[in-house]
Amino acid sequence: MHQQQHTQAISMQTLMPEKDLAYTVLADLKRVVREYATAATESSCPQTRQMFTNLLNNTLRMQGDLFNAMQQQNMYSVASPALRQEVDKQIKEHQQVIQQAEQHLQQLGLKQQASFGGQYNQQQHLQGQYIQPQIPTNQQSQFYM
Amino acid sequence: MMQPITAKELEYVVDSISNEDLLMKQCAVVVAAGSSPALKQVCGQMIHMHEQHMHTLLHSLQQHQQLAPTQPQN
Repeated sequence: MHQQQHTQAISMQTLMPEKDLAYTVLADLKRVVREYATAATESSCPQTRQMFTNLLNNTLRMQGDLFNAMQQQNMYSVASPALRQEVDKQIKEHQQVIQQAEQHLQQLGLKQQASFGGQYNQQQHLQGQYIQPQIPTNQQSQFYM
Repeated sequence: MMQPITAKELEYVVDSISNEDLLMKQCAVVVAAGSSPALKQVCGQMIHMHEQHMHTLLHSLQQHQQLAPTQPQN
């Protein structure tokens, strides 16, 4: 009896600090985002896939909102920034990867279709102007189905 | 054209209802016991979203109810 009264007197904040509680919700939102993404990719009915896609987007937005609120309350410390030399090194290495991929497409005679990726990197990205990739609309709909 | 729901899809839908239920209750705890107004506001809005999600998921099951075969298909 006495024990029970004592238990009831403990507030939720004492049982679990608000920061931990918020982190638990954030972790679950992240898990649910992954689950909705998996569910969407494994749905065969178009309506079901669309539903999971909508739920995925909503959940992503909620996760972002909660993250922002937690960061503003100093409840979340972001990972330290990557060093400049590391970024430089990765750019250099992966420019080669992209170049090789394009050469590969060229050898296969498929360069035409893939060229927008390269153009984006070399011209649009550097000049800061984004031009819509020129692919026919019927082809585009296949990508975004 | 609506297709019958697959066993896999059914599992995802019911698991998702459980997930939304859990998230809704967690958000309710933050609203009831939290001290930061900003967090309480975000979680308060999320409660309604999770509730809405549960209804969406349930509704999708109801929509597929009539299409579901009564005999096992090979």
